[in-house]
Amino acid sequence: MNMVTPAIRDFARRLVALEGSRAESPVTGGSEVVRVCEKLRLPLSKLAGDAGFRSLMSRAVALAKAEIPSLVAVQVRADGSMEGLDGSGHDQDMRVNGQAGIVVVAQLLGLLVTFIGEPLTLRLIRDVWPNASLAGMNTGSDEVL
Amino acid sequence: MSTEDKVTIQKMPTGVPGLDEILGGGLPEYSFNVIAGAPGCGKTTLAHQVVFTNATPARPALYFTVLGEPAIKMLRYQQQFRFFDAAKLNTAIRFINLSHVVLEKDLNAVLDEIVKEVEGASPGVVVVDSFRTVVRKAQMGTAELELQGFIQRLALHLTSWQATTFLIGEYVEGEIRDNPVFTVADGLFWLYQQVERNSIVRKLQVMKLRGQISVPGLHTFRITADGVQAFPRTFGLTGRVAKARNRPRLPCGIPELDAMLGGGIPEGDSLLVAGPSGTGKSVLATQFIAEGLRRGEPGIVAIFEERPEEYAGRAAELGMDFAKPQQDGKLSIIYLRPLDLSVDETMREILDAVERTGAKRVVIDSLAGFEMALAPGFRTDFRESLYRMIGALTRTGVTIVSTVEVAETFTELALSPYSISFLSDDIIRLRYVEIDGQLRKVLMVVKMRAGDHSKDIREYEITSEGLRIGERLTGYHGLITGVPDPINPMVRDSEEAPGTQDIKE
Repeated sequence: MNMVTPAIRDFARRLVALEGSRAESPVTGGSEVVRVCEKLRLPLSKLAGDAGFRSLMSRAVALAKAEIPSLVAVQVRADGSMEGLDGSGHDQDMRVNGQAGIVVVAQLLGLLVTFIGEPLTLRLIRDVWPNASLAGMNTGSDEVL
Repeated sequence: MSTEDKVTIQKMPTGVPGLDEILGGGLPEYSFNVIAGAPGCGKTTLAHQVVFTNATPARPALYFTVLGEPAIKMLRYQQQFRFFDAAKLNTAIRFINLSHVVLEKDLNAVLDEIVKEVEGASPGVVVVDSFRTVVRKAQMGTAELELQGFIQRLALHLTSWQATTFLIGEYVEGEIRDNPVFTVADGLFWLYQQVERNSIVRKLQVMKLRGQISVPGLHTFRITADGVQAFPRTFGLTGRVAKARNRPRLPCGIPELDAMLGGGIPEGDSLLVAGPSGTGKSVLATQFIAEGLRRGEPGIVAIFEERPEEYAGRAAELGMDFAKPQQDGKLSIIYLRPLDLSVDETMREILDAVERTGAKRVVIDSLAGFEMALAPGFRTDFRESLYRMIGALTRTGVTIVSTVEVAETFTELALSPYSISFLSDDIIRLRYVEIDGQLRKVLMVVKMRAGDHSKDIREYEITSEGLRIGERLTGYHGLITGVPDPINPMVRDSEEAPGTQDIKE
């Protein structure tokens, strides 16, 4: 199964915080979590195709929901984008932009680490956030990335 | 990228004895696999075994049935196997019938249905049986690219959802080329059921397995009440142990022979008893086992030409009780079903018995019977197979006595019809000699790897208590030809050879 270590969770939190520190992107116009996932769409679609990206997102959301029941209204659309995290949902209770949303990113990263390993996951992230300082960061295994 | 940097692909147990070894440790987790083969070759049984081994309520298995064998019939037949666990049904294992979707709708609907079920159950294992039916229906009016896209989307989704998938299909080998299923698959396992004269031999091949090294070639397997059991063809080829020269000796119950061997058979050796019919090879082997039992050493006898009760009956005639040790678990007489055996399963059976009984002594009686018990295809590889079997057995530390029948000639001293003497650490040769109008028997130790041995050629007799060995047969030359001449031509029948007199007392 997908093992999301505390390090991966912290990693996800830092990526979300990184997006939060930037001006709102016109791409999603929503939460930092959605922006992180959308930024991962391009490299992941290259690796797995559009359908593969959608499958990965749906799996990450399902795993996150199992962990955080308040994410119940979060859905993955047919194009792989998320619904219910960006504040556009009808139910205000479902706008889970904070800690709960980070779990979705953490689960997505956990899936990537499971499938392609830590080094390639980190390389993929560096390609998306080239200016981000990820030095000394690791996802929880014995190795330091 | 260093070894440490590589992603670790976890391996899932198959639950099929021997198969994990063939696969290189198990099935790669989250892989997308095809189990292919003709009807009746064991595809569904194999899939069921994997499913029952791995399914849990938290990570269930979804078993999609499509037009082929409906779930109700599968359940009727599969519950005959010991791995079947009814408690897992509908909790850890769910059967879902996709027939109506396949019949009435298109590939997208099939995919949607599978996706819906997978997202609902989060399964660890998914089986589609038979996927061939899905594809065959789809091919009616579906472009090849569309079919390929469907298979790829299915594979991506199931892998993303962390399911290890098995598509089962009745394929023939000619279909491998250009078939998108085989292109997309991470693992391709082909099962065969071959008819060799009147014998049936089941074999499996790992044609493709991404991410790990599997054992190439065809491996035999058998389906019994326990399900599928596979026999890796490399079994016994690795890990030979070095043997110390000064090992303990195992007496064989014939003091004179033990003396000739320098105290007995070196522990862990493989000894070959060669001789023509009626020279007492089986008697010698039986005495070896009986002596072990007397010393508290469990034993195993693998026989091919007679049934265990007959073998034990013959031992009883020699004053050896094999019934009680069998009841006590100290002796296992393995009668291996003749005519369609593979060497690998014979080896497995004996090794399992060694483990079960803690055996120190093993008798294989006889190699000729063993060869006859094999399916015809395996007889051609008999020599190589024996090499593997003896290697695997001696690696466990047991001491083996094998008997082999050799046709008696009067021009040479043949040791085995299989040219296998190099496999044996020690060789005892029994043979007939014609002396003064009598057919007598002589015994000699031809070879002992662990050290010196007697060079004597000694006459012996088979008595109601087993082999009785007399003194060295002197006064003749050419004994090993079988037609010796007296060194002193004046020696005649009336002058008994020294050993003979002892035996007759």
